[in-house]
Amino acid sequence: MSKKNWRVILTGVLIILAFIALWDTYKLWTMSDTEVQAMQDDDPGALLHLQQEAIRLGLDLQGGIHVVLRVKLEELDKGAQTDAVDRAMQIIRNRVDGLGVAEPTIVKQGNERIIVDLPGYTDADRAEELIGQTALLQFKLLETADNGNLILSRLDSVIAEYEAARRGEVSDTAGVAEADSAGMFDLLAESEASDQTTSSDLMAELLGDSVVDTADLFGFDEELGLNEDEYPLTSRLELAFSSSKGVGWPSFAVAKKDRERIDRWLSLPEAARVIPIDVQFAWGTRTEVRNSREVYYLYLLKRKVQFLGKYLENISLRRDPMSGFVVNFSLSGDGAARFAQLTGANIDKPLAIVLDDKVESAPFINSKIRRQGQISMGSSAKIDDARNMEIVLKAGALPAPVEIIEKNVVGASMGADSIRKGFSAAVLGLSLVLLFIGLYYRLSGVIADVGLLFNIFFLMAVMSALGYTLTMPGIAGIILTIGMSVDSNILIFERIREELRTGKTVRASIDAGYDRAFVAIFDSHVTTLITAGALFLFGSGPIKGFAVTLFYGIVISLYTAFVITKQVFDFRKGYRTLSI
Amino acid sequence: MFRLIGETHIDFIGARKIASVLSVGLVALGIFALVMVVTGEANLGIDFAGGNMIIGSFEQPVLIEDLRAATAGEFPDAQITELKDFEKPNAFIIKVKRPETEAAGRETSLRLKSTIAESFEGNPFTVVSEHIIGPAVGQTLRSDAQKAVLLSLCCIVLYIWVRFDFRSGIAATIATLHDVLAVLGITYIMGLEFDLLIVTALLTLAGYSLTDTVVVFDRIRENLKRFRTRGEFATAVNSSINEVLSRTINTSLTTLLVVGTLFFLGGEVVHNFSLALILGILIGTYSSVFVASPIVVEWEARKPSRFK
Repeated sequence: MSKKNWRVILTGVLIILAFIALWDTYKLWTMSDTEVQAMQDDDPGALLHLQQEAIRLGLDLQGGIHVVLRVKLEELDKGAQTDAVDRAMQIIRNRVDGLGVAEPTIVKQGNERIIVDLPGYTDADRAEELIGQTALLQFKLLETADNGNLILSRLDSVIAEYEAARRGEVSDTAGVAEADSAGMFDLLAESEASDQTTSSDLMAELLGDSVVDTADLFGFDEELGLNEDEYPLTSRLELAFSSSKGVGWPSFAVAKKDRERIDRWLSLPEAARVIPIDVQFAWGTRTEVRNSREVYYLYLLKRKVQFLGKYLENISLRRDPMSGFVVNFSLSGDGAARFAQLTGANIDKPLAIVLDDKVESAPFINSKIRRQGQISMGSSAKIDDARNMEIVLKAGALPAPVEIIEKNVVGASMGADSIRKGFSAAVLGLSLVLLFIGLYYRLSGVIADVGLLFNIFFLMAVMSALGYTLTMPGIAGIILTIGMSVDSNILIFERIREELRTGKTVRASIDAGYDRAFVAIFDSHVTTLITAGALFLFGSGPIKGFAVTLFYGIVISLYTAFVITKQVFDFRKGYRTLSI
Repeated sequence: MFRLIGETHIDFIGARKIASVLSVGLVALGIFALVMVVTGEANLGIDFAGGNMIIGSFEQPVLIEDLRAATAGEFPDAQITELKDFEKPNAFIIKVKRPETEAAGRETSLRLKSTIAESFEGNPFTVVSEHIIGPAVGQTLRSDAQKAVLLSLCCIVLYIWVRFDFRSGIAATIATLHDVLAVLGITYIMGLEFDLLIVTALLTLAGYSLTDTVVVFDRIRENLKRFRTRGEFATAVNSSINEVLSRTINTSLTTLLVVGTLFFLGGEVVHNFSLALILGILIGTYSSVFVASPIVVEWEARKPSRFK
């Protein structure tokens, strides 16, 4: 392979890679608002994926909330200080998860600070309330299988009706509207009656109503596959566990992508009316991998609080040679008696450990627990799971108080304004430079212009592939890169011109131009890289965005100047005169 | 061949005495500004000083004087500017700096909003964006900025010294510091707020100004091979500057084009940032011609290192 060919091949490969890297960004950015909305309704999982793969916009561009918290360590005892920041983070992660933010980030900064970024979310009061509150750890019992079954089948029918109505509206507005509203009236009449149902009413109803076969839902074979239209909810639930006695409990695995859809269904007023008031749905705290797919667990709990986490003491994680990881805890005084009563009355039933309305886990009660308790994580549990359990129990027992020390709320219109201004500045700046270089250096300038466009294309691709966030200072960095990367071309061209003036041939001038200019270009790029590196190390948020675009912009500009445009000039070496 | 600058024979080195007066003045101003920044006397942004920033818009037009008068009672130090060419009309930026405690920012935010709501009844003020920084975060950002500045300046100096001989290294370092200090001084005189973005701009232009110096020094190094006698040292330097002049001007022009559009169209966020860069490009161009090279010439004249 000749020396020239590798450049063409490498550049070709890079262009293809860049196209692949930018494909999702292109798709997302060219979607109209209504298309995004439609996708949100039909397949929220796919939209989330697209948003994650595309170039992310910083808080300053899409709006959002940035909060820095400080864990008030001085208010805690020495013993409680260890892990306090981890506990607080766990709680915040728990709560933020339910907000529907596409890319929340929660990171530790230093010894006592936590940074929470909620891009796209602008309800500052709600966020502050969620993040700043002290944790609440509760223990709750699961609903029985029979009741769970009945509630689910009722939900299925109202959701199926709702979805059918919605689809009807989309496909045929005029004809279906009438039938629709009729259906709504039916539903209202029915649900008004059931407004005050509790689960014991349900039980009575169930006993007298033999039509519903509980085995149907709780024993269903996953592979049978329920009809999604008829059973929109249950077809998306997979029974998660049953006790050793073969009794099923309403806890289900739900594919990650379905969570948002199910949340929406469960919050429908129609759905709320068929869920008894003493029963609640609760999600597990995090996704888990089950049968090689990512799932959330969904539990059906009795709403009544059975026990509070504040009674727990001496929580510690151990590794038992026989049964794997175990988390030990003890109870004292008042708590011990209550817990003994609770566990004694519910042996062989699962007890859900609920932190801020999310279920960390629902272990089975094996025996009556008085003063010393133990949660066995199972022989296959990983250290992370066990550690999470420990942190959650500790968070409930020893809440870590936090205070907000920085808050930045950027409204969506502020972000839109920045995008518009950043974009117009970039387009005008780029056009002016392209025009200037094209006019000044003629055909050579046009070649440099093409190189410059490649620069920006590659830069965007790198941003996308490496998952960097685009900020307003980041856009400024891109614009600055445009101005600076042209410098390489100017240095080379001026040198070639000088060489031509001394009467050298085109071939010799091009060679000398590239050779002589290389040192200066290399030096200048290195110094800028140093600056970008320092800013990256010590800069915060938006400044980091600037450093990143500057850094990659400079590296890429070196490539385009010495590989892409050089290639074109190598072709031109044979010419008798040079348009420069 | 289309050329803005033809072959020039300007006596840059001859003008070094006049230039040095200007440069010393700029550097003195910069050092003064630096002292003010470090002692916290300068107009620090809320990221360094801590404080509140609220961007919001009224439904109906409001005179900035009225808004100032309305808030003056409770917040005598509030800085209010009108936000022109924004998505929404009648928009203002209100800043209240230097909170005493971590909790003070929240309280200020509530009081500020209620004061405005009371003073402009019937003309609701909608908050578009709000930033509250407590004193501790301000402290962290300040020390991070100091680290970034020190680290990058040290690395740049180190790199220059590795790449060039001792004298050129010193000269390039002085030129770079000259540019950073000069821009700092000018922005201080202009009353610009000293914030994280200004620090970023200063570091960026340090890299940029160095580029200019490096290009000139490269050419000097190349040209010195052709000159054989001592008396010609200044001439060699001067012709080097002249030879790369058209590159210097063209690069400054293209960079000015993009930074200029950023200044005029980029909006509030990057306004001061791009202004500092514009100043930096102009001064960086000036310093590569009038600061770095003359130092080398002066040094050579007093203590010859070549052609002994």
